[in-house]
Amino acid sequence: MQDVKTNKKVIDEGVEAGLAKLTPEKIASVINQVLEKETGARFKAYVQTCMRCGLCSDACSVFLSNDRAPQYSPAAKVKQTILEMINKKGRVSREFLSDAVRIAHTECNVCKRCSMYCPFGIDIAYMMLTVRRIIHKLEITPLYIQDTVNSHAATGNQMWVKQDEWIDTLQWQEEDAREEFEDLRIPLDKDGSDIMYSVIAPEPKFQAGLIYQMATIMHAANVNWTMPSTPGWDNSNMAMYTGDFETSGRIARIHYEAAANLHVKKIVMGECGHAFRSVYDVGNRWVGWTAPPIELIHAIDFYHFLLTTGRIKVKEKYKKSVTLHDPCNISRGRGLHHKAREIVNILCENFIEMTPNKEHNYCCGAGGGVINCGPPWKGTRMVNNKEKSRQLKRTGAQVLIAPCHNCHSGLEDIVEHYELGMEIKFFGDIIFEVMEKTIFEEGN
Amino acid sequence: MATIEFNGKSFDIDEDGFLLDYNTYNDQWVEYVKGQEGIEELTDEHWTLIKVLQDYYEKNGIAPMVRVLSKLTKFKLKHIYELFPSGPGKGACKMAGLPKPTGCV
Repeated sequence: MQDVKTNKKVIDEGVEAGLAKLTPEKIASVINQVLEKETGARFKAYVQTCMRCGLCSDACSVFLSNDRAPQYSPAAKVKQTILEMINKKGRVSREFLSDAVRIAHTECNVCKRCSMYCPFGIDIAYMMLTVRRIIHKLEITPLYIQDTVNSHAATGNQMWVKQDEWIDTLQWQEEDAREEFEDLRIPLDKDGSDIMYSVIAPEPKFQAGLIYQMATIMHAANVNWTMPSTPGWDNSNMAMYTGDFETSGRIARIHYEAAANLHVKKIVMGECGHAFRSVYDVGNRWVGWTAPPIELIHAIDFYHFLLTTGRIKVKEKYKKSVTLHDPCNISRGRGLHHKAREIVNILCENFIEMTPNKEHNYCCGAGGGVINCGPPWKGTRMVNNKEKSRQLKRTGAQVLIAPCHNCHSGLEDIVEHYELGMEIKFFGDIIFEVMEKTIFEEGN
Repeated sequence: MATIEFNGKSFDIDEDGFLLDYNTYNDQWVEYVKGQEGIEELTDEHWTLIKVLQDYYEKNGIAPMVRVLSKLTKFKLKHIYELFPSGPGKGACKMAGLPKPTGCV
Protein backbone atom coordinates (compact mmCIF):
# COMPACT_ATOMS: atom_id res chain seq x y z
CA MET A 1 0.00 0.00 0.00
CA GLN A 2 1.08 3.53 -0.70
CA ASP A 3 2.11 5.84 2.09
CA VAL A 4 -1.00 7.83 2.81
CA LYS A 5 -2.63 9.49 5.76
CA THR A 6 -6.32 8.89 5.89
CA ASN A 7 -8.80 11.07 7.74
CA LYS A 8 -10.95 9.14 10.17
CA LYS A 9 -14.45 10.42 9.52
CA VAL A 10 -15.54 9.54 6.00
CA ILE A 11 -17.00 12.42 4.02
CA ASP A 12 -19.41 11.33 1.32
CA GLU A 13 -20.57 14.30 -0.74
CA GLY A 14 -23.90 12.73 -1.61
CA VAL A 15 -24.72 12.01 2.02
CA GLU A 16 -23.57 15.43 3.22
CA ALA A 17 -25.54 17.34 0.58
CA GLY A 18 -28.67 15.34 1.39
CA LEU A 19 -28.32 15.80 5.15
CA ALA A 20 -27.97 19.59 4.78
CA LYS A 21 -31.44 19.77 3.24
CA LEU A 22 -33.26 17.80 5.95
CA THR A 23 -35.57 19.27 8.58
CA PRO A 24 -36.70 17.46 11.74
CA GLU A 25 -40.25 17.31 10.33
CA LYS A 26 -39.11 15.75 7.08
CA ILE A 27 -36.96 13.18 8.90
CA ALA A 28 -39.81 12.10 11.20
CA SER A 29 -42.42 11.97 8.46
CA VAL A 30 -40.25 9.79 6.16
CA ILE A 31 -39.24 7.39 8.90
CA ASN A 32 -42.77 7.02 10.21
CA GLN A 33 -44.19 6.57 6.73
CA VAL A 34 -41.80 3.68 6.02
CA LEU A 35 -42.27 2.10 9.45
CA GLU A 36 -46.06 2.38 9.44
CA LYS A 37 -46.95 1.90 5.78
CA GLU A 38 -44.18 -0.26 4.35
CA THR A 39 -43.52 -2.82 7.08
CA GLY A 40 -45.81 -5.44 8.51
CA ALA A 41 -45.99 -8.49 10.74
CA ARG A 42 -42.59 -9.81 9.71
CA PHE A 43 -40.86 -6.58 10.75
CA LYS A 44 -42.73 -6.45 14.07
CA ALA A 45 -41.87 -10.06 14.82
CA TYR A 46 -38.19 -9.43 14.19
CA VAL A 47 -38.15 -6.32 16.37
CA GLN A 48 -39.89 -8.11 19.24
CA THR A 49 -38.09 -11.45 18.97
CA CYS A 50 -34.43 -10.47 19.18
CA MET A 51 -33.27 -11.04 22.76
CA ARG A 52 -29.66 -9.92 22.21
CA CYS A 53 -28.22 -13.40 22.66
CA GLY A 54 -25.25 -12.37 20.54
CA LEU A 55 -25.03 -15.51 18.41
CA CYS A 56 -25.10 -13.30 15.33
CA SER A 57 -21.93 -11.49 16.39
CA ASP A 58 -19.31 -14.06 15.51
CA ALA A 59 -21.22 -14.84 12.32
CA CYS A 60 -20.37 -11.39 11.00
CA SER A 61 -17.01 -10.95 9.29
CA VAL A 62 -17.17 -7.18 9.85
CA PHE A 63 -17.46 -7.85 13.62
CA LEU A 64 -14.54 -10.29 13.51
CA SER A 65 -12.48 -7.85 11.43
CA ASN A 66 -12.90 -5.14 14.06
CA ASP A 67 -11.56 -7.22 16.97
CA ARG A 68 -15.08 -8.10 18.08
CA ALA A 69 -15.94 -4.51 19.00
CA PRO A 70 -19.56 -4.73 20.18
CA GLN A 71 -20.93 -1.99 17.91
CA TYR A 72 -20.21 -4.17 14.87
CA SER A 73 -22.44 -7.01 16.02
CA PRO A 74 -25.44 -7.44 13.68
CA ALA A 75 -27.86 -7.04 16.60
CA ALA A 76 -26.05 -3.85 17.60
CA LYS A 77 -26.34 -2.51 14.05
CA VAL A 78 -30.10 -2.97 14.31
CA LYS A 79 -30.14 -1.34 17.72
CA GLN A 80 -28.12 1.66 16.53
CA THR A 81 -30.37 2.26 13.53
CA ILE A 82 -33.91 1.01 13.14
CA LEU A 83 -34.68 0.36 16.83
CA GLU A 84 -33.65 3.88 17.71
CA MET A 85 -35.86 5.24 14.93
CA ILE A 86 -38.79 3.26 16.33
CA ASN A 87 -38.14 4.26 19.93
CA LYS A 88 -37.80 7.94 19.07
CA LYS A 89 -40.78 7.85 16.72
CA GLY A 90 -38.61 9.13 13.90
CA ARG A 91 -37.30 12.12 15.84
CA VAL A 92 -33.62 11.50 15.19
CA SER A 93 -30.83 13.95 14.40
CA ARG A 94 -28.74 14.44 11.26
CA GLU A 95 -25.70 13.07 13.15
CA PHE A 96 -27.69 9.95 13.93
CA LEU A 97 -28.63 9.58 10.26
CA SER A 98 -25.03 10.09 9.18
CA ASP A 99 -24.08 7.13 11.39
CA ALA A 100 -27.07 5.12 10.14
CA VAL A 101 -25.84 5.56 6.55
CA ARG A 102 -22.38 4.37 7.51
CA ILE A 103 -23.74 1.33 9.35
CA ALA A 104 -26.45 0.22 6.90
CA HIS A 105 -24.57 0.97 3.67
CA THR A 106 -20.96 0.14 4.54
CA GLU A 107 -20.77 -2.04 7.65
CA CYS A 108 -23.33 -4.61 6.56
CA ASN A 109 -23.05 -6.56 3.29
CA VAL A 110 -26.64 -7.87 3.67
CA CYS A 111 -24.98 -11.27 3.17
CA LYS A 112 -27.37 -12.99 5.61
CA ARG A 113 -24.68 -15.08 7.30
CA CYS A 114 -25.95 -13.77 10.66
CA SER A 115 -29.48 -14.95 9.93
CA MET A 116 -28.17 -18.50 9.59
CA TYR A 117 -26.74 -18.39 13.10
CA CYS A 118 -29.69 -16.58 14.71
CA PRO A 119 -31.72 -19.09 16.77
CA PHE A 120 -34.90 -17.41 15.50
CA GLY A 121 -33.72 -16.88 11.94
CA ILE A 122 -34.22 -13.14 12.12
CA ASP A 123 -33.46 -11.63 8.73
CA ILE A 124 -31.13 -8.86 9.82
CA ALA A 125 -30.30 -8.02 6.22
CA TYR A 126 -33.95 -7.14 5.73
CA MET A 127 -33.74 -4.81 8.72
CA MET A 128 -30.66 -3.10 7.25
CA LEU A 129 -32.36 -2.85 3.85
CA THR A 130 -35.31 -1.18 5.58
CA VAL A 131 -32.85 1.37 6.97
CA ARG A 132 -31.53 1.87 3.44
CA ARG A 133 -35.11 2.36 2.22
CA ILE A 134 -35.47 5.21 4.72
CA ILE A 135 -32.07 6.58 3.64
CA HIS A 136 -33.22 6.51 0.01
CA LYS A 137 -36.44 8.33 0.83
CA LEU A 138 -34.47 10.93 2.81
CA GLU A 139 -32.19 11.33 -0.25
CA ILE A 140 -28.98 10.70 1.70
CA THR A 141 -27.74 7.64 -0.21
CA PRO A 142 -23.95 7.50 -0.76
CA LEU A 143 -22.92 9.31 -3.94
CA TYR A 144 -21.27 6.56 -6.01
CA ILE A 145 -24.00 3.95 -5.58
CA GLN A 146 -26.66 6.60 -6.24
CA ASP A 147 -24.96 7.38 -9.56
CA THR A 148 -25.23 3.70 -10.44
CA VAL A 149 -28.93 3.70 -9.61
CA ASN A 150 -29.42 6.86 -11.68
CA SER A 151 -27.86 5.04 -14.61
CA HIS A 152 -30.20 2.07 -14.07
CA ALA A 153 -33.19 4.41 -14.05
CA ALA A 154 -32.14 6.33 -17.17
CA THR A 155 -30.65 3.61 -19.36
CA GLY A 156 -31.74 0.24 -17.93
CA ASN A 157 -28.07 -0.60 -17.26
CA GLN A 158 -25.73 0.36 -14.43
CA MET A 159 -22.90 2.10 -16.35
CA TRP A 160 -24.54 4.61 -18.69
CA VAL A 161 -24.04 2.35 -21.73
CA LYS A 162 -26.02 3.59 -24.72
CA GLN A 163 -27.84 1.17 -26.99
CA ASP A 164 -25.67 1.81 -30.07
CA GLU A 165 -22.52 1.35 -27.97
CA TRP A 166 -23.84 -1.92 -26.63
CA ILE A 167 -24.62 -3.30 -30.09
CA ASP A 168 -21.29 -2.04 -31.43
CA THR A 169 -19.43 -3.76 -28.57
CA LEU A 170 -21.10 -7.10 -29.26
CA GLN A 171 -20.31 -6.90 -32.97
CA TRP A 172 -16.74 -5.93 -32.16
CA GLN A 173 -16.31 -8.92 -29.86
CA GLU A 174 -17.95 -11.19 -32.43
CA GLU A 175 -15.33 -10.09 -34.92
CA ASP A 176 -12.48 -10.55 -32.43
CA ALA A 177 -13.73 -13.97 -31.32
CA ARG A 178 -13.53 -15.19 -34.91
CA GLU A 179 -9.90 -15.81 -33.99
CA GLU A 180 -11.31 -18.86 -32.19
CA PHE A 181 -13.91 -20.01 -34.75
CA GLU A 182 -14.11 -18.33 -38.13
CA ASP A 183 -17.91 -18.57 -38.38
CA LEU A 184 -18.63 -17.54 -34.76
CA ARG A 185 -21.67 -15.32 -34.20
CA ILE A 186 -23.07 -13.36 -31.30
CA PRO A 187 -26.67 -13.63 -32.49
CA LEU A 188 -28.61 -10.44 -31.72
CA ASP A 189 -32.39 -10.61 -31.16
CA LYS A 190 -32.72 -14.11 -32.58
CA ASP A 191 -36.38 -14.89 -32.06
CA GLY A 192 -37.26 -18.22 -30.44
CA SER A 193 -33.71 -19.06 -29.30
CA ASP A 194 -33.24 -21.69 -26.62
CA ILE A 195 -31.25 -19.26 -24.50
CA MET A 196 -30.99 -15.54 -23.92
CA TYR A 197 -27.66 -14.67 -22.36
CA SER A 198 -27.59 -11.57 -20.11
CA VAL A 199 -24.63 -9.85 -18.47
CA ILE A 200 -23.90 -6.85 -16.27
CA ALA A 201 -22.72 -3.51 -17.63
CA PRO A 202 -19.05 -3.69 -16.55
CA GLU A 203 -18.62 -6.38 -19.23
CA PRO A 204 -19.38 -4.20 -22.27
CA LYS A 205 -18.04 -1.08 -20.56
CA PHE A 206 -14.54 -2.33 -19.74
CA GLN A 207 -14.32 -6.14 -19.61
CA ALA A 208 -15.46 -7.00 -23.12
CA GLY A 209 -13.10 -9.99 -23.13
CA LEU A 210 -15.63 -11.83 -20.95
CA ILE A 211 -18.18 -11.57 -23.76
CA TYR A 212 -15.55 -12.88 -26.19
CA GLN A 213 -14.99 -15.87 -23.90
CA MET A 214 -18.68 -16.64 -23.46
CA ALA A 215 -19.29 -16.38 -27.22
CA THR A 216 -16.50 -18.93 -27.72
CA ILE A 217 -18.02 -21.25 -25.12
CA MET A 218 -21.52 -20.92 -26.63
CA HIS A 219 -20.20 -21.57 -30.11
CA ALA A 220 -18.17 -24.63 -29.09
CA ALA A 221 -21.14 -26.01 -27.14
CA ASN A 222 -23.30 -25.52 -30.24
CA VAL A 223 -25.99 -23.72 -28.26
CA ASN A 224 -28.94 -21.95 -29.91
CA TRP A 225 -28.51 -18.60 -28.14
CA THR A 226 -29.05 -14.89 -28.46
CA MET A 227 -28.42 -11.57 -26.76
CA PRO A 228 -30.94 -8.71 -26.81
CA SER A 229 -30.00 -5.49 -28.59
CA THR A 230 -32.46 -3.57 -26.40
CA PRO A 231 -32.38 -2.56 -22.70
CA GLY A 232 -32.84 -5.64 -20.53
CA TRP A 233 -29.44 -7.06 -21.46
CA ASP A 234 -28.12 -5.91 -18.05
CA ASN A 235 -29.40 -8.17 -15.26
CA SER A 236 -27.80 -6.18 -12.43
CA ASN A 237 -29.74 -4.13 -9.92
CA MET A 238 -28.10 -1.69 -7.53
CA ALA A 239 -31.44 -0.03 -6.82
CA MET A 240 -32.34 -3.20 -4.88
CA TYR A 241 -29.54 -2.27 -2.48
CA THR A 242 -30.34 1.42 -2.06
CA GLY A 243 -33.98 0.84 -1.17
CA ASP A 244 -35.14 2.42 -4.44
CA PHE A 245 -37.56 -0.45 -4.93
CA GLU A 246 -39.56 1.32 -7.63
CA THR A 247 -36.49 1.47 -9.89
CA SER A 248 -35.41 -1.99 -8.75
CA GLY A 249 -38.70 -3.58 -9.79
CA ARG A 250 -38.72 -1.71 -13.08
CA ILE A 251 -35.27 -2.95 -14.15
CA ALA A 252 -35.99 -6.53 -13.08
CA ARG A 253 -39.10 -6.33 -15.27
CA ILE A 254 -37.18 -4.93 -18.29
CA HIS A 255 -34.83 -7.92 -18.13
CA TYR A 256 -37.72 -10.39 -18.40
CA GLU A 257 -39.51 -8.31 -21.02
CA ALA A 258 -36.44 -8.51 -23.26
CA ALA A 259 -36.55 -12.31 -22.92
CA ALA A 260 -40.32 -12.47 -23.48
CA ASN A 261 -40.10 -10.30 -26.61
CA LEU A 262 -37.55 -12.71 -28.06
CA HIS A 263 -39.66 -15.77 -27.14
CA VAL A 264 -36.65 -17.53 -25.64
CA LYS A 265 -37.05 -20.71 -23.61
CA LYS A 266 -34.57 -19.82 -20.90
CA ILE A 267 -32.31 -17.05 -19.60
CA VAL A 268 -28.71 -17.79 -18.71
CA MET A 269 -27.05 -15.04 -16.72
CA GLY A 270 -23.33 -14.42 -16.35
CA GLU A 271 -21.21 -14.80 -13.24
CA CYS A 272 -22.84 -12.27 -10.93
CA GLY A 273 -24.33 -12.76 -7.48
CA HIS A 274 -26.37 -9.67 -6.62
CA ALA A 275 -27.95 -9.71 -10.08
CA PHE A 276 -29.05 -13.27 -9.40
CA ARG A 277 -30.61 -12.13 -6.10
CA SER A 278 -32.55 -9.55 -8.10
CA VAL A 279 -33.78 -11.51 -11.12
CA TYR A 280 -34.22 -14.80 -9.30
CA ASP A 281 -35.84 -13.42 -6.19
CA VAL A 282 -36.05 -9.88 -4.80
CA GLY A 283 -36.65 -7.82 -7.95
CA ASN A 284 -39.32 -10.22 -9.12
CA ARG A 285 -41.19 -10.19 -5.85
CA TRP A 286 -41.44 -6.41 -5.96
CA VAL A 287 -43.03 -6.72 -9.41
CA GLY A 288 -45.44 -9.24 -7.90
CA TRP A 289 -44.11 -12.47 -9.40
CA THR A 290 -43.70 -15.36 -6.99
CA ALA A 291 -41.32 -17.12 -9.38
CA PRO A 292 -39.30 -16.03 -12.41
CA PRO A 293 -41.77 -15.77 -15.34
CA ILE A 294 -39.19 -17.36 -17.64
CA GLU A 295 -36.76 -20.01 -16.43
CA LEU A 296 -33.52 -18.38 -15.34
CA ILE A 297 -30.25 -20.04 -14.41
CA HIS A 298 -26.94 -18.72 -13.13
CA ALA A 299 -23.75 -19.33 -15.13
CA ILE A 300 -22.68 -22.00 -12.61
CA ASP A 301 -25.75 -24.07 -13.44
CA PHE A 302 -25.12 -23.55 -17.14
CA TYR A 303 -21.42 -24.45 -17.02
CA HIS A 304 -22.30 -27.51 -14.96
CA PHE A 305 -24.70 -28.58 -17.71
CA LEU A 306 -22.14 -27.97 -20.47
CA LEU A 307 -19.33 -29.81 -18.69
CA THR A 308 -21.34 -32.82 -17.48
CA THR A 309 -23.05 -33.42 -20.82
CA GLY A 310 -19.83 -33.21 -22.81
CA ARG A 311 -20.90 -30.13 -24.70
CA ILE A 312 -17.68 -28.56 -23.47
CA LYS A 313 -14.74 -30.91 -23.11
CA VAL A 314 -11.64 -30.29 -21.06
CA LYS A 315 -8.44 -30.60 -23.08
CA GLU A 316 -6.08 -30.50 -20.15
CA LYS A 317 -6.91 -29.70 -16.53
CA TYR A 318 -5.84 -26.40 -15.00
CA LYS A 319 -2.57 -26.93 -13.15
CA LYS A 320 -2.26 -24.11 -10.61
CA SER A 321 -3.71 -24.61 -7.13
CA VAL A 322 -7.14 -23.02 -6.87
CA THR A 323 -9.55 -22.15 -4.10
CA LEU A 324 -13.20 -21.18 -4.48
CA HIS A 325 -15.08 -18.26 -3.00
CA ASP A 326 -18.80 -19.04 -2.66
CA PRO A 327 -20.75 -15.83 -3.38
CA CYS A 328 -23.46 -15.28 -0.74
CA ASN A 329 -26.32 -14.75 -3.17
CA ILE A 330 -25.84 -17.95 -5.12
CA SER A 331 -24.59 -20.12 -2.27
CA ARG A 332 -26.52 -19.13 0.86
CA GLY A 333 -29.16 -17.75 -1.47
CA ARG A 334 -29.55 -20.68 -3.84
CA GLY A 335 -27.29 -23.60 -2.85
CA LEU A 336 -25.17 -23.59 -6.01
CA HIS A 337 -21.99 -24.44 -4.07
CA HIS A 338 -22.26 -28.19 -4.74
CA LYS A 339 -22.40 -27.72 -8.49
CA ALA A 340 -19.59 -25.17 -8.24
CA ARG A 341 -17.36 -27.80 -6.61
CA GLU A 342 -18.19 -30.36 -9.26
CA ILE A 343 -17.15 -27.83 -11.88
CA VAL A 344 -13.90 -27.02 -10.08
CA ASN A 345 -12.99 -30.69 -9.94
CA ILE A 346 -13.77 -31.20 -13.62
CA LEU A 347 -11.64 -28.20 -14.57
CA CYS A 348 -8.77 -28.14 -12.08
CA GLU A 349 -6.17 -30.59 -10.78
CA ASN A 350 -5.54 -29.03 -7.42
CA PHE A 351 -8.51 -27.68 -5.46
CA ILE A 352 -8.03 -26.35 -1.94
CA GLU A 353 -11.13 -25.64 0.16
CA MET A 354 -11.23 -22.42 2.08
CA THR A 355 -12.62 -22.49 5.62
CA PRO A 356 -15.39 -21.69 6.35
CA ASN A 357 -16.97 -22.56 3.03
CA LYS A 358 -20.19 -23.20 1.09
CA GLU A 359 -23.19 -21.55 2.77
CA HIS A 360 -20.96 -20.71 5.75
CA ASN A 361 -18.48 -18.75 3.65
CA TYR A 362 -17.70 -15.16 4.60
CA CYS A 363 -18.88 -12.45 2.24
CA CYS A 364 -16.26 -10.99 -0.12
CA GLY A 365 -16.75 -7.74 1.79
CA ALA A 366 -17.80 -5.90 -1.36
CA GLY A 367 -21.30 -7.34 -1.64
CA GLY A 368 -24.64 -5.81 -0.82
CA GLY A 369 -23.68 -2.63 -2.65
CA VAL A 370 -20.82 -1.87 -0.25
CA ILE A 371 -18.09 -1.64 -2.91
CA ASN A 372 -20.47 0.45 -4.98
CA CYS A 373 -20.39 3.16 -2.32
CA GLY A 374 -17.06 3.87 -3.94
CA PRO A 375 -13.71 5.41 -3.06
CA PRO A 376 -14.79 7.43 0.03
CA TRP A 377 -15.44 4.14 1.83
CA LYS A 378 -12.53 2.07 0.51
CA GLY A 379 -10.32 2.53 3.57
CA THR A 380 -12.93 1.42 6.09
CA ARG A 381 -13.94 -1.41 3.75
CA MET A 382 -10.39 -2.75 3.86
CA VAL A 383 -10.44 -2.70 7.67
CA ASN A 384 -13.83 -4.47 7.64
CA ASN A 385 -12.39 -7.15 5.32
CA LYS A 386 -9.49 -8.19 7.55
CA GLU A 387 -11.12 -11.48 8.52
CA LYS A 388 -11.77 -12.28 4.86
CA SER A 389 -8.09 -11.67 4.09
CA ARG A 390 -7.07 -14.11 6.83
CA GLN A 391 -9.42 -16.73 5.43
CA LEU A 392 -7.99 -16.31 1.92
CA LYS A 393 -4.40 -16.40 3.16
CA ARG A 394 -4.93 -19.68 5.04
CA THR A 395 -5.70 -21.49 1.76
CA GLY A 396 -2.24 -20.85 0.32
CA ALA A 397 -3.82 -21.21 -3.14
CA GLN A 398 -2.35 -19.50 -6.19
CA VAL A 399 -5.68 -18.81 -7.83
CA LEU A 400 -8.97 -17.65 -6.34
CA ILE A 401 -12.11 -18.44 -8.33
CA ALA A 402 -14.94 -15.98 -7.71
CA PRO A 403 -18.06 -16.52 -9.84
CA CYS A 404 -19.49 -13.05 -9.17
CA HIS A 405 -18.51 -9.60 -10.45
CA ASN A 406 -18.93 -7.83 -7.15
CA CYS A 407 -16.91 -10.48 -5.30
CA HIS A 408 -14.29 -10.31 -8.02
CA SER A 409 -13.73 -6.56 -7.63
CA GLY A 410 -13.83 -6.70 -3.83
CA LEU A 411 -11.45 -9.64 -3.60
CA GLU A 412 -9.04 -7.87 -5.96
CA ASP A 413 -8.97 -4.99 -3.49
CA ILE A 414 -8.33 -7.36 -0.57
CA VAL A 415 -5.59 -9.27 -2.39
CA GLU A 416 -3.88 -6.00 -3.28
CA HIS A 417 -4.32 -4.35 0.12
CA TYR A 418 -3.22 -7.34 2.19
CA GLU A 419 -0.58 -8.36 -0.40
CA LEU A 420 -1.87 -11.90 -0.78
CA GLY A 421 -0.45 -12.39 -4.27
CA MET A 422 -3.41 -14.44 -5.55
CA GLU A 423 -4.76 -14.35 -9.10
CA ILE A 424 -8.54 -13.94 -9.25
CA LYS A 425 -10.55 -15.62 -11.96
CA PHE A 426 -14.07 -16.28 -13.10
CA PHE A 427 -15.10 -19.83 -13.98
CA GLY A 428 -15.39 -18.56 -17.56
CA ASP A 429 -11.68 -17.63 -17.58
CA ILE A 430 -10.67 -21.14 -16.54
CA ILE A 431 -13.09 -22.89 -18.91
CA PHE A 432 -11.84 -20.77 -21.81
CA GLU A 433 -8.27 -21.72 -20.94
CA VAL A 434 -8.73 -25.49 -20.61
CA MET A 435 -11.51 -26.26 -23.11
CA GLU A 436 -11.18 -28.07 -26.40
CA LYS A 437 -11.88 -25.56 -29.16
CA THR A 438 -14.05 -27.92 -31.20
CA ILE A 439 -17.75 -27.73 -31.97
CA PHE A 440 -20.06 -30.17 -30.19
CA GLU A 441 -22.23 -32.30 -32.47
CA GLU A 442 -25.49 -33.85 -31.17
CA GLY A 443 -25.25 -37.64 -30.87
CA ASN A 444 -21.49 -37.68 -30.33
CA MET B 1 -9.14 11.41 1.10
CA ALA B 2 -5.39 11.60 1.38
CA THR B 3 -2.50 13.66 0.07
CA ILE B 4 0.55 12.16 -1.54
CA GLU B 5 3.87 13.79 -2.34
CA PHE B 6 5.75 12.74 -5.44
CA ASN B 7 8.83 14.39 -7.00
CA GLY B 8 8.02 17.68 -5.31
CA LYS B 9 4.36 17.70 -6.42
CA SER B 10 1.45 17.04 -4.14
CA PHE B 11 -1.83 15.38 -5.14
CA ASP B 12 -5.11 14.95 -3.31
CA ILE B 13 -6.43 11.46 -3.99
CA ASP B 14 -9.43 9.37 -3.02
CA GLU B 15 -9.07 6.09 -1.16
CA ASP B 16 -8.86 4.09 -4.38
CA GLY B 17 -5.92 6.25 -5.39
CA PHE B 18 -7.72 8.30 -8.07
CA LEU B 19 -7.21 12.07 -8.33
CA LEU B 20 -9.88 13.97 -6.43
CA ASP B 21 -9.74 16.84 -8.90
CA TYR B 22 -9.10 16.21 -12.59
CA ASN B 23 -7.68 19.73 -12.92
CA THR B 24 -4.72 18.86 -10.67
CA TYR B 25 -3.46 16.36 -13.28
CA ASN B 26 0.08 16.87 -14.61
CA ASP B 27 2.77 14.67 -16.09
CA GLN B 28 4.24 13.90 -12.67
CA TRP B 29 0.94 12.22 -11.82
CA VAL B 30 1.47 9.85 -14.72
CA GLU B 31 4.93 8.99 -13.41
CA TYR B 32 3.48 8.34 -9.96
CA VAL B 33 0.70 6.05 -11.22
CA LYS B 34 3.18 4.24 -13.45
CA GLY B 35 4.94 3.08 -10.27
CA GLN B 36 1.66 2.23 -8.56
CA GLU B 37 0.51 0.13 -11.51
CA GLY B 38 3.82 -1.62 -11.96
CA ILE B 39 4.17 -0.46 -15.56
CA GLU B 40 7.82 -0.75 -16.55
CA GLU B 41 8.09 1.70 -19.38
CA LEU B 42 5.73 4.34 -20.67
CA THR B 43 5.46 4.17 -24.43
CA ASP B 44 3.82 6.44 -27.00
CA GLU B 45 0.92 3.99 -26.94
CA HIS B 46 0.30 4.68 -23.25
CA TRP B 47 0.27 8.39 -24.01
CA THR B 48 -2.12 7.93 -26.94
CA LEU B 49 -4.54 6.13 -24.66
CA ILE B 50 -4.23 8.74 -21.92
CA LYS B 51 -4.93 11.57 -24.37
CA VAL B 52 -7.97 9.79 -25.82
CA LEU B 53 -9.37 9.17 -22.33
CA GLN B 54 -8.88 12.79 -21.33
CA ASP B 55 -10.33 14.17 -24.54
CA TYR B 56 -13.44 11.99 -24.19
CA TYR B 57 -13.83 12.78 -20.50
CA GLU B 58 -13.57 16.53 -21.09
CA LYS B 59 -16.31 16.35 -23.70
CA ASN B 60 -18.62 13.84 -22.00
CA GLY B 61 -17.89 13.92 -18.26
CA ILE B 62 -17.58 10.12 -18.13
CA ALA B 63 -14.96 7.51 -19.04
CA PRO B 64 -15.44 5.99 -22.51
CA MET B 65 -16.33 2.37 -23.09
CA VAL B 66 -13.39 0.18 -23.99
CA ARG B 67 -14.92 -0.18 -27.47
CA VAL B 68 -14.62 3.57 -27.98
CA LEU B 69 -11.02 3.47 -26.72
CA SER B 70 -10.24 0.73 -29.18
CA LYS B 71 -11.85 2.57 -32.08
CA LEU B 72 -10.06 5.83 -31.41
CA THR B 73 -6.64 4.31 -30.75
CA LYS B 74 -6.89 1.37 -33.20
CA PHE B 75 -5.59 -0.88 -30.38
CA LYS B 76 -7.18 -4.29 -29.97
CA LEU B 77 -8.79 -5.10 -26.61
CA LYS B 78 -5.99 -7.49 -25.66
CA HIS B 79 -3.41 -4.82 -26.37
CA ILE B 80 -5.19 -2.29 -24.14
CA TYR B 81 -4.91 -4.82 -21.31
CA GLU B 82 -1.22 -5.36 -22.15
CA LEU B 83 -0.63 -1.63 -21.79
CA PHE B 84 -2.71 -1.38 -18.60
CA PRO B 85 -2.83 -4.78 -16.86
CA SER B 86 -5.40 -3.61 -14.27
CA GLY B 87 -7.68 -2.61 -17.14
CA PRO B 88 -9.04 0.51 -18.78
CA GLY B 89 -11.45 1.28 -15.90
CA LYS B 90 -8.78 1.11 -13.22
CA GLY B 91 -5.18 1.71 -14.33
CA ALA B 92 -5.85 3.74 -17.47
CA CYS B 93 -8.54 5.98 -15.97
CA LYS B 94 -6.40 6.51 -12.88
CA MET B 95 -3.32 7.47 -14.89
CA ALA B 96 -5.31 9.88 -17.05
CA GLY B 97 -6.59 11.65 -13.92
CA LEU B 98 -10.24 10.60 -14.35
CA PRO B 99 -12.38 9.78 -11.30
CA LYS B 100 -13.05 6.15 -10.48
CA PRO B 101 -15.94 4.89 -12.63
CA THR B 102 -19.12 4.01 -10.75
CA GLY B 103 -20.68 0.53 -10.88
CA CYS B 104 -19.57 -2.99 -9.93
CA VAL B 105 -15.91 -2.33 -10.74
